[in-house]
Amino acid sequence: MDNYFINRPNLDRLVRSLAKTYNVYAPVKSDDNRYYKKIGDEGLRDAVLGEIRAVQTIKSFYFPARIKVADYFSQDISERKPRPIAIVGVKSCDLASLKIMDYVFEQEPFNDPFYISQREEGLIISSDCTCYGESCFCIGLGIMPYPTEDFDINLSEIESGYVAEVGSGKGEKVVKDYFKLFQNAEHYTEKKEENRKSLKGSLSEHVKHKKIPNKDSIQSLLKKKFDSPLWEEIAKTCVECGACSVICPACHCFTLKDQNVEGNFERLRLWDSCLLLSFARVAGGANPRKLLAQRLRNRFDKKFNFFPDMIGRFGCTGCGRCSQACAGKIYIHEVLSKL
Amino acid sequence: MIESPYIPIKTEVLNVYQESPTIKTFALKPEKPLHFKAGQFIEMTIPGIGEAPFTPSSSPYENSKLDISIMKAGRVTERIHDLKKGEIVGLRGPYGNEYPLNEFEGKEILLVGGGVGLAPLRALFLALVHDIDKFKEILFCCGSRTPKDIIFKDCVLDKWQKIDKRVNFRVTVDKGDDNWKGKVGLVTTTLDNLKINLKNSIAVICGPPIMMKFTAFKLIDIGYKEEQIYLSMEKNMSCGIGKCGHCRLGDFYVCKDGPVFRYDKISHIHEIWD
Repeated sequence: MDNYFINRPNLDRLVRSLAKTYNVYAPVKSDDNRYYKKIGDEGLRDAVLGEIRAVQTIKSFYFPARIKVADYFSQDISERKPRPIAIVGVKSCDLASLKIMDYVFEQEPFNDPFYISQREEGLIISSDCTCYGESCFCIGLGIMPYPTEDFDINLSEIESGYVAEVGSGKGEKVVKDYFKLFQNAEHYTEKKEENRKSLKGSLSEHVKHKKIPNKDSIQSLLKKKFDSPLWEEIAKTCVECGACSVICPACHCFTLKDQNVEGNFERLRLWDSCLLLSFARVAGGANPRKLLAQRLRNRFDKKFNFFPDMIGRFGCTGCGRCSQACAGKIYIHEVLSKL
Repeated sequence: MIESPYIPIKTEVLNVYQESPTIKTFALKPEKPLHFKAGQFIEMTIPGIGEAPFTPSSSPYENSKLDISIMKAGRVTERIHDLKKGEIVGLRGPYGNEYPLNEFEGKEILLVGGGVGLAPLRALFLALVHDIDKFKEILFCCGSRTPKDIIFKDCVLDKWQKIDKRVNFRVTVDKGDDNWKGKVGLVTTTLDNLKINLKNSIAVICGPPIMMKFTAFKLIDIGYKEEQIYLSMEKNMSCGIGKCGHCRLGDFYVCKDGPVFRYDKISHIHEIWD
């Protein structure tokens, strides 16, 4: 795809223009972490487009933690249709998670219109990582620390601006509409490749120490560990908080909850976690996963066995968020290293 | 406008029948007809309380209303049991797959049901009887805990027995009472001395997991092959459309790949009977 150069002031202009059509979000930094913030009059002033992924995942933009999905028995969902969303500074691990989410929510014969409409109307301007975090291990799962697909435009930070790579028809239209803001990228593409190569090298070294099995053997190793005491060992420190699911970009499970609001019945779709005892329980109390160890094993089975069978990819992108969020110090790369 | 797949259809409770101390059948009339096939399930909503999945127990050929037979077992089903004639509920569906009736044609069909598992089998039985000439024979084995727990009693013990000479019944209870003249023993005991040509037979099992497990094992012992046995799996299907993740069984979602499974497709899965 085509590469252009855009300097930082022009990118700021572009984003401000996009804000007329989209709710634009970009990561800003607070205490050493990055959080998505809606871009207002300040434009990209505080935005951090390089570095690593934000604390939040991008799934929440398309699959919110809580959304009303029915006002029964009305066929019309009265909730106002939200503005389309543009996210700037999305990292490669989060783009990879969209493959999982798209598969789940777009799968026929019943697709999920709430997710699909936001995805279809949204815009993604991704960016290369410029460093890695302690818990990062994307490359161990075959995902590069820079976007290679599934973006509209990708930004690779270079000196005073970015190499902007067009990744879709939607991205091409943005470049065309604001063509004056872009320059020829000829002098910058070599530097972009150099930066990528250098980060790939240092990240590979970092991940090597984590001793994760080769990505092609993870699924078969996991299958052999079904009856292993490993799961009980891990369960010793799990406090069943579900933080790993909430913070995971690829965890998609939800529950439907009904409520009575002043005589009107509404149905909410809420994020759920397979770590919670009630997740698989049926009426009458039977529960195929009564033990915490079974539920932990199930989480790994879903990510490293089920999704590879379904779509040939892991339901994990190596973002390392769950390792950071876990109160019980269960580190996903460490679990993988014990397979 | 977003067309939400989670909106239930307004449905009137036409009648309520007490089947057993813990099971009631609800005759329901949805505003728009739901055309289900035997084996498929629906999600039933109690307004403001929530939903639960059930397989209808009436004939799929009946268009104006459908029956659902429900055991009082959890939060939602307790509220369902309080429902009275004329009240409004919601229905979504039908979801999942059906029994592959075309593959049953020309065969001797063995139905084995335990407890409330007779409910989905009733829909299947009525569908089979509707086209009885297509099938060689039907043997319906019913197991219940006590005589009081037998559901669809007049049908199972009387009416259905007279439908056709190709239709036969074996009814058993785990524990009899003073008035019970029939067979006493677990439902698996009804499978002794089957006069069935195994090579040309299909078995369908529906009931609690433990009953399905031992029935399946017994059928294998008798000489059935895994691919001749169909199971109706129960998991907590929530969304019904393969998104929410609750009902995963190995590489399947019971809500969209089931609830009807041929045994050989799932016999390798670790958590199958749990």
